[in-house]
Amino acid sequence: MDHRSLVFASVFPVPSLSHTTPTPVATPDLGYTGPGQSFGGPLVGHTTTQHRAVKRNLAWSTATRFLSLPKSLPGINTSFEASRPLKTADVDEALHYLLVGDGKSEDGQEEGLIDWYTNEARLHFARCVQPALQAQWRKEIELQYAWDVLDDTQKVLQQAQALYLRPFEDYILHYLYQSRDSASTIRPAGPTYDDADSVHRRFRRDIHAIFAHCLPPHRFGKTLSYVLYDAGRRLFRVYVRHDSVESSPTLENTKAFRLRMTNLLQGLERIGLGGENAQKAFAHAMDKLMDSFIVSHYLKVDWYSKKSIVPHLRMWIKDGFRPLIELVMECLKCSPSNVQPTELQQWQEMALTRLGRARVESLFDFVIKWNHSLGAILDIKEYLKAAGAKQFLISTFSQQVSRRLLHPGATTTYILDVYIAVIRTFHEIEPKGVLLERVARPIRRYLKEREDTARIIISSLLTDINDDAGSKFTSSGELSYLIANEMQKPFSNFNQEADEDLNWGDMNWQPLPSDASPDYKKTKIEDVIWFLLTLWDREDFINELKNILGDHLLRSQDPEYEKEIRLLELIKVRLGDDKLQACEVMLRDVLDSKRINAAIRASGTSSQTFPQTPDHRPPETPEGPPRAPRPRRPNTTSSSLAPSAPLLKPPEAPTLNAQILSSFFWPLLRDDNFRVPAHIEALQKEYETSFERIKGMRKLRWMNALGEGAVTLEFEDRTQHFEKLAPWQVSVIYAFQPQSGDEWASGRGKNKPKDAGVTRNVVQLEDMLEMEEQLVRQALAFWVGQSVLRETHPDTYAVIEAAAPDEVDSVAAAAAQELAEVQAAQAGAVKSQSDLLQEKKDVYITFITAMLTNQGDLPVQRIAMMMKVMIPGFVFGPEEVKELLLEMEMGGKATALGGDVWGIRK
Amino acid sequence: MALSTGARTSGNSASVSQRLQKELMDIMMKPTDGVTAFPDDENMTKWTATIAGPDETPYAGLVFKLSMEFANTYPYTAPSVLFKTPIYHPNVDFSGRICLDILKDKWSATFSISSVLLSLQSLLGEPNNASPLNGQAAEFWDKNPAEFQRQVLARHKTPEELDTDAM
Repeated sequence: MDHRSLVFASVFPVPSLSHTTPTPVATPDLGYTGPGQSFGGPLVGHTTTQHRAVKRNLAWSTATRFLSLPKSLPGINTSFEASRPLKTADVDEALHYLLVGDGKSEDGQEEGLIDWYTNEARLHFARCVQPALQAQWRKEIELQYAWDVLDDTQKVLQQAQALYLRPFEDYILHYLYQSRDSASTIRPAGPTYDDADSVHRRFRRDIHAIFAHCLPPHRFGKTLSYVLYDAGRRLFRVYVRHDSVESSPTLENTKAFRLRMTNLLQGLERIGLGGENAQKAFAHAMDKLMDSFIVSHYLKVDWYSKKSIVPHLRMWIKDGFRPLIELVMECLKCSPSNVQPTELQQWQEMALTRLGRARVESLFDFVIKWNHSLGAILDIKEYLKAAGAKQFLISTFSQQVSRRLLHPGATTTYILDVYIAVIRTFHEIEPKGVLLERVARPIRRYLKEREDTARIIISSLLTDINDDAGSKFTSSGELSYLIANEMQKPFSNFNQEADEDLNWGDMNWQPLPSDASPDYKKTKIEDVIWFLLTLWDREDFINELKNILGDHLLRSQDPEYEKEIRLLELIKVRLGDDKLQACEVMLRDVLDSKRINAAIRASGTSSQTFPQTPDHRPPETPEGPPRAPRPRRPNTTSSSLAPSAPLLKPPEAPTLNAQILSSFFWPLLRDDNFRVPAHIEALQKEYETSFERIKGMRKLRWMNALGEGAVTLEFEDRTQHFEKLAPWQVSVIYAFQPQSGDEWASGRGKNKPKDAGVTRNVVQLEDMLEMEEQLVRQALAFWVGQSVLRETHPDTYAVIEAAAPDEVDSVAAAAAQELAEVQAAQAGAVKSQSDLLQEKKDVYITFITAMLTNQGDLPVQRIAMMMKVMIPGFVFGPEEVKELLLEMEMGGKATALGGDVWGIRK
Repeated sequence: MALSTGARTSGNSASVSQRLQKELMDIMMKPTDGVTAFPDDENMTKWTATIAGPDETPYAGLVFKLSMEFANTYPYTAPSVLFKTPIYHPNVDFSGRICLDILKDKWSATFSISSVLLSLQSLLGEPNNASPLNGQAAEFWDKNPAEFQRQVLARHKTPEELDTDAM
């Protein structure tokens, strides 16, 4: 016994320190001789006290020997009686004497038999039971053993309890009750005797304290909690997916399982472990069970029937969860053991909140899968009634959006599609649109910053989803199917929203949500296009619209321009029809052009035969690039045909259709100058005169870069027809027409032994066509791609007169075709910003040089800002300025000083 | 004159900045070698100009910074122009003030920033020794070119040195 215990015992009497073991029978304690007594002499002169002490000692010895517990815990089946000495008469007497007779301890002076027995039980427990239990509980209890451990513990403790209680009830209480029964008539209110029950209770309590003490309370609570949780899970067959411990979901016999749980709980309650600790553990378990249920397969989003699962959840709480709780509470003898209706409601709300939160966590995914995810959205709608739900939803969703959507990796088309899904989803969640306004704000702001947003929206609106859909939408990524689809929808009741709040017959009317700001005005929420068109200021949008519409009109395949007209009407309805004048003029231009073409052609038939090809749509450009069949020399031997007379015997004469654009209203258009084939030029002249005749004073200026043409090429071995060619492509290939004075034209048979076509090099072409080198090369690349030309030497190209299955050609063709496609994608009809930048580059560079020379070193931001202020029409940002600076650095004019600060190279 | 200009120009600062804007674009479209100018900030009334010393003068290879300030009577009154870079020149004093007729009584509204700067550049090569602000300089210019050259170089500072001095 260590020092600390001794110190403790000196202050508080600890029974175990003074615990006596039963005296062996062989050496009865005869008491001790008092002072002044002769030792060993007969017990004469017994005082009453001495006598009592001796007698008590004897009785004590007998009683304790009888009551002392076996050294080991008996097996379950071992009877106590077997190991216990028979209750003889003197035992009976001793017990009676000590418990209710004169030998009863008085005033706590002497050790009472009950205390002794309690102590005996405690020691016995410490010796025989505790080590095994503690060994079991010392380590973490592994989950799969939790049930067994608890079962074991419960059994062992129950056995121990039975072992201790049995003699206590049989012998000790027996006397107490007896005496009470006999004494009650005499001393009805005897304080000592009638508290047999309290003695009993105290003994039990002591034992339970020992039990509880020997188990680590925390670990016990956790284990019990897990067991209860596991029980609930199994009873409801809730399988958590990522639980590796979980065995295969065998269908267990729930009835048997319920019985096992009930037994265990009742057992625990019996051995005193069902107290507060267990209740706490139970509460934890139920809490977790609810969570598990919510993520379980029962509450999976209803993807098929698209219904909310909230009613299901409520039902489970009421008819599944509550009965379980009641059952457990009954087992643990809680009071009251039934569940109040208000509590039930609280649980349902709590469950709903958790479900809602779980749903909101993946709201972004639901939004993306909108329409299939209606079930989940309806769940969230239910959840929004809870307190704080809206806040949570807004902040969580905003986070998801900024993390998963608003980053450079997401294409604008994708963002737009998601935005549309967001509009639809939130309309379902909250038809009034207040929530939508909140969550959409960052998306709108971000979309506004993307420069291709307007382009994508408008071109998508102009796309026909019915023709070759699918391929267009997935591959290019520049068109949004959702937007195009939206365009298909009828133009429904747009102006009917005005008096919605005054419609008193509307039985579905709802007030605005409480968190709507005072000036909140309900928007026509269903209308996705409205949201898209209001992304920008009207002016900005209309400017953008002008550019795109212009480009689109020039490329449009539809002779009636139905889509364009519709779009314009649509935008007018939404944005008001002032400001859209330019667009209307543009539209009218293209429509008028058709009429003028017809008129001019009619008037011109006298001088030239235009084949009327009704199925052939007019190529829409001012400079009608020819539908020009270019006769190549049909035969190698026939040299009689004048090479430079393409009109000589064409299969059909070229026709020219023009589009007349009012330059004032159209955006800046591409205006590359080059020479078109001679007879086209002639046609242009003719057209021009006719036009001037019809339109009086108006002048035409041909924009050779725009438009499209069709040609038929005749080779030695084949004839190929090409349509929708750019004018410059036509001009370049036309330049390969053999011409008079061409050395190759006459002497080709000698120089080039086989399949020698006409050869030109890049410089020649530039001179002949007065065309920019870049354009020449683009056109050459295109024709190489079409296997019409071949690069014989660097920068020198020849016509492939006879298409030999030449691998080199086809490889070169494939490569060139790719190149041509890339370049074609860049060449729009309307001047792009980068074109503008290139055009004015020199001025800008001078500007930057002057700025840096005079103002010293400046950061890019500042330079861009100054340029914006000082140069009219400078619409570029720091990115472009940086480009310029980098170019200047290459030219040795500027130098980066780090931190985006630039200076002049000295 | 004072009365009339005052009447004409009150509240006319917008037209001044328009005019300056135009001049700026002109300078940018037709840059002149050795002469540049640029506004200090958005409101354009203060500019900084840079003049490279003409070849075959004592100032060859040197770079001078000037400040220009435009009143809102511009272009009817001359801008006030000062040398920021210290310069040793007969017609410029030690605080950078310039004695040049077109900046004083010979100013005309047809002049522009670039014409002023070109005049100043030529003044570097051909000082007007008849009315010197710096008598010693005028004397050395005429009699002791070597000493003049030495003085010019001793006084000159590069823009970087100016910047470090300012700090």
